[in-house]
Amino acid sequence: MRRKHVLSLLMLSMGVGLLVAAMTVGVASARTGQHNAKTATRGGTLQVDQSGGAFDTLDPQLSYVTNDWTVLSNTQLLLVNFPDKAGKAGTQLFPEAATAFPTFSNNGKTVVFHLRKGMKFDNGKPVTAANFQRAFERVLSPSMYAQYGCFDYIDQFVVGGTKFANCAGTTGVTTSKHISGISAKGLTLTIHLTKANATFVNIMAMQWFGAIPSNMAYTKSDSGILVYPSAGPYYIATNQPSTLTVLKRNKYWHGARPANPDTIVIHTFPNSDGEAALLQTEAGQIDMDMTGVPSADVAKVSSTYGGPNKGQFHVGGTSCIIWSALNNGKAPTDNAAVRKAINYAISRQPIIQLAGPYSGSSADQILVPGMPGYSKFHVYPSYPNFSKAKSVGGSALTAAANTPVNIYYRTSSHLQTNIALYEKKQLNTIGLKNVNLEAADLTSYYGPLETRATAEGSNGYNLARAGWCADYFDPFDYINVNFDGRTLSDTGNVDYFYFNNSSFNSQMDHAAALGGSARSAAYAALDKELMVKYAPAVPIEVANDRFLTAKRVKNWIYSYYFGEPDFNAMVIG
Amino acid sequence: MGAFIIRRLFWAIFLFIVATIITYVIFFVIPSDPATIACGTHCTPPIIAHIRLSLHLNLPFYQQYWLFLWNMLRHGSLGYSFVNGASVRWIIGQAAPITGSLVAGGAVCWLALSIPVGVISALRPRSILDRAGMVFVLIGISAPVVWIGLILAYIFGFKLGWTPIATYCNFFPSHQIGVCSGPANWAYHLVLPWATFMLLFAALYVRLIRANVMETMSEDFVRTARAKGASSARVLFQHVLRNSMLPVVTILGMDIGLALGGAVFTETVFNLNGLGQTLISAASQENLPVVVGVVVFATVAVIIFNFLVDVAYAWLDPRIRLST
Amino acid sequence: MALLEVTDLVTRFRTDDGIVQAVSGVSFSLDRGQTLGVVGESGSGKSVTFLTVMGLVDPRHADVTGSVRFDGNELLGASFSTLRKIRGQRIGMIFQDPMTSLNPVKRIGWQLEEAVLIHNDVSRSEARRRSLEVLDEVEIPRADARIDDYPHQFSGGMRQRVMIAMALINQPDLLIADEPTTALDVTTQAQILRLMKKLQDEHGTAIVMITHDLGVVAELADDAAVMYGGRIVEEAKVQDLFAQPEMPYTWGLLGSLPRADITAARLEQIPGQPPSLLRPPNGCAFNPRCAYAFDRCRAELPELRPSPTSGEHRFRCHLDDADRLRIWTAKKAELTSTEGTAA
Repeated sequence: MRRKHVLSLLMLSMGVGLLVAAMTVGVASARTGQHNAKTATRGGTLQVDQSGGAFDTLDPQLSYVTNDWTVLSNTQLLLVNFPDKAGKAGTQLFPEAATAFPTFSNNGKTVVFHLRKGMKFDNGKPVTAANFQRAFERVLSPSMYAQYGCFDYIDQFVVGGTKFANCAGTTGVTTSKHISGISAKGLTLTIHLTKANATFVNIMAMQWFGAIPSNMAYTKSDSGILVYPSAGPYYIATNQPSTLTVLKRNKYWHGARPANPDTIVIHTFPNSDGEAALLQTEAGQIDMDMTGVPSADVAKVSSTYGGPNKGQFHVGGTSCIIWSALNNGKAPTDNAAVRKAINYAISRQPIIQLAGPYSGSSADQILVPGMPGYSKFHVYPSYPNFSKAKSVGGSALTAAANTPVNIYYRTSSHLQTNIALYEKKQLNTIGLKNVNLEAADLTSYYGPLETRATAEGSNGYNLARAGWCADYFDPFDYINVNFDGRTLSDTGNVDYFYFNNSSFNSQMDHAAALGGSARSAAYAALDKELMVKYAPAVPIEVANDRFLTAKRVKNWIYSYYFGEPDFNAMVIG
Repeated sequence: MGAFIIRRLFWAIFLFIVATIITYVIFFVIPSDPATIACGTHCTPPIIAHIRLSLHLNLPFYQQYWLFLWNMLRHGSLGYSFVNGASVRWIIGQAAPITGSLVAGGAVCWLALSIPVGVISALRPRSILDRAGMVFVLIGISAPVVWIGLILAYIFGFKLGWTPIATYCNFFPSHQIGVCSGPANWAYHLVLPWATFMLLFAALYVRLIRANVMETMSEDFVRTARAKGASSARVLFQHVLRNSMLPVVTILGMDIGLALGGAVFTETVFNLNGLGQTLISAASQENLPVVVGVVVFATVAVIIFNFLVDVAYAWLDPRIRLST
Repeated sequence: MALLEVTDLVTRFRTDDGIVQAVSGVSFSLDRGQTLGVVGESGSGKSVTFLTVMGLVDPRHADVTGSVRFDGNELLGASFSTLRKIRGQRIGMIFQDPMTSLNPVKRIGWQLEEAVLIHNDVSRSEARRRSLEVLDEVEIPRADARIDDYPHQFSGGMRQRVMIAMALINQPDLLIADEPTTALDVTTQAQILRLMKKLQDEHGTAIVMITHDLGVVAELADDAAVMYGGRIVEEAKVQDLFAQPEMPYTWGLLGSLPRADITAARLEQIPGQPPSLLRPPNGCAFNPRCAYAFDRCRAELPELRPSPTSGEHRFRCHLDDADRLRIWTAKKAELTSTEGTAA
């Protein structure tokens, strides 16, 4: 879950709701991309600003947010990767460092990657399997003091992972030198899985699993290692936290992905509202603001540049589904009828309209367009339907009239407050009289969500605005990761819904074991069942990104997996 | 002069201690857990416990403060950012030259504008120029700095394209490709921020200088100079200016703190990652080491600047110099 | 030819409240080497008269008419550069308050040298030599050690000596001293007056001594002019003025004078306030304060007319000769008898 991205999307204050479906966007940008590809040339310096945010870290195994991954996608050499192509082509994995997709043996439990010859880090050292082995170790090592691998169950997928990572135990103790299930020999990387895993190849496309120096240190510092050799198209030449990041082309790069600009310079302005960067982009003083167009300016920018995806103004879908999580562990949202009623009462368009033009497309399901298993359905309305809400809620809703309902929201922008107020009004209308607003600031927002005692306590939440962006391209990452109640523990929970249904759990297990079209069909069914039967959340929208590029920037290719453009593909005209 | 300096020094140390203690107290009073903040995105209680120990957050307030003083005096260290682990000294080293360039250059600009305008309006009261100056003063006093900055950026940076709209270039040339640097670029990129400062402060200074010059012009010693047969220029430059600049120097000393405050807004408008921006980020992230570091640095800078102003005043006014 | 000849001088100031006529038709003349004492209360127009003579009133606020001839040259309407050459070179000026009349941030030596360098094409070292010389002349002890001091390091009397030195450094023909001793204590006053007298004897400088103190006039001046409400109300040789003052205001001034010759133990204040120059009274300006005023005084401005005893002694008063003689005789007796009683 790349939740910072969710935050930044939410933070953009948005307005009128002209809907542009994510797929339409893909097609439009595909056209632009093909046109410009013909004139593509190398050279120049791409000047990027980052307004109102900063990189958490560019340490590949400590990074977990979208803007970090946008940079890493330029520097990381992955076993399998997404091509820098527009539209649907950009979502089809290809073997990058690997010569081909891996061979599975031992009933799908042994995975072997053969690496290409002649790939090198920017310091000239050749890339071997040990470089990928180290990435696994840094993802799981307790010495990193931030075992993100644990949150995505990586330790449970790989033989020896649980022992190596010791996720539940005390941190700071490295139990063994290597993960027993992973071996590296020359250009051959062998991984033993605990059980067959259809998503495993997709997971390998995460930036965590790129090639790193085989002796890259474990570090306790939160920012991690600032500068290190990379084997991707670029390497990090300068990395001054919250200020300046400079990427330079890896002179040994011969991969399929382009490396068009010689240099990519990213200036970071953590407190900027983006207005200066917007003017600079329009004046051609910089090439783009990777945070996007400030929401207040979207309408004007769109009309100045002839609408979305006609030239310099780009609207792109993301893999991010924004929702109000309903707490299944706390009354009255522990009742499915009440949760369904809320889905009818709090509906999507009014909230999207609060957030400005092209801010997102209304959605009432968990999976997002482009995801295997995505099949558009329409269970809940785009506009509120109170009578339906009351009839669906029935006696359970009536009984809950005076039960406290807590709406938990962030104080980071007026938009968040306005949405919370809107939600309160809708709940009052369907007869929930005791609705309370509880605010938290950005830094302390997620603690209560992740901690069971707080979430389900008397001051816990019933509704909490959150969302999910793809870690990797598989419905497992949306359905299983969020809704498998067996993962719930006292702290560090990802299942903010506190949803735990044994029959649904076993259905998810079943779907996860499938592959191919059977897998897609199973997840499509789960997606629909989840909303029709349980309604653990109020999905609102699939968020969009809105960018402006300078006139000289050509070959705009947008990856909706990252929700970011591909810097390495851009051509400076 | 020796006693004067020693007295100043004690005052400076006192100010420094008060400023840092207040900053510390604020952070201990507000309900937040630095360990959780330092822990970052995903965190588990064992990691938080570990961080709490390594940051000495388990110690009582006064011991933490003492550790901070000790580290600063003994090791010259201001600690490390909770958020990205960078050394606070490094962070300030990055930000201070930007704010320094902004404030110093801004001060030069506003004095360069307000001295001639102030003097001319004093010499020709009620003239067109005086009245125009007064309008300008009113605009400068009433308009918020952010608004002035945005208007300047929009007109001169965007519409006319004469200047860069935002960002900073290092004064010292670097060989980093794509990152602008060098004295000419530095000044070129700071033109608008300086102009913003100029409009903001020149307004006040034109008033001040006009009043001072008019007052000095009516002084007896100016009449003496005229009676001696001195030319108007000689009267102005040799007799009026230095005397009328004395109060200006004092106000300048007081305004430097204000200018640092103004820098916060100017930096926001023009995307300058100076001390003001650093402070805002750090404060909103409850990043105590950085906040304290900036406060310490700003306090020391203001103290040093005020000391320099005192010296300058003494140099300008022999009555001060020779009586202390 | 008189050194300074002022005829019908009128100075009007435009203020926010209206026109202030500070000087209304003043005429007098002064010969080389002579001393003219100009006496009057504050606001009588005596200082403005001589600021106008020097061209030091701001033309943006003041209208000046009449004539000021200095050594045969008309100064009114003369160019700024002409005036500048005369100021400090041919006419020196000393002001009332030595504490504020010197530039506080410049050394004494610098300020003296400046006076030399403005008018003479000489080197700075020559200017310094002359400055030391003139400091010696005004009896500044250890002048060579003090020349680089700042004004605030000098006492009031010493500063006034510096002012005198500065006024005299270019050996001017005329020295205008505007209340040079008022701000000083009695002992210092005497020293300064003695010094001025000595310097006048040595250099033959003509002096205009502006003062509100008839004692100073008696001590220093050859001629005296009494000013009231912007006009000269009485002028005479000093001895004539003291022997036979011809009008009530002068009588009042004499009554308030602690003097060696006509000594009064009790100082008689002239009751009332000096007239407003913005809205002067009709008729004689002194009439509201005059104990002897009658209807004519309130209606008609008295002309400056010669006294019965001397043609050079002129005054403004409507009282006839007999009345004035009677009143002055009685007044004089009263002043003397008061002394007797007190003794």
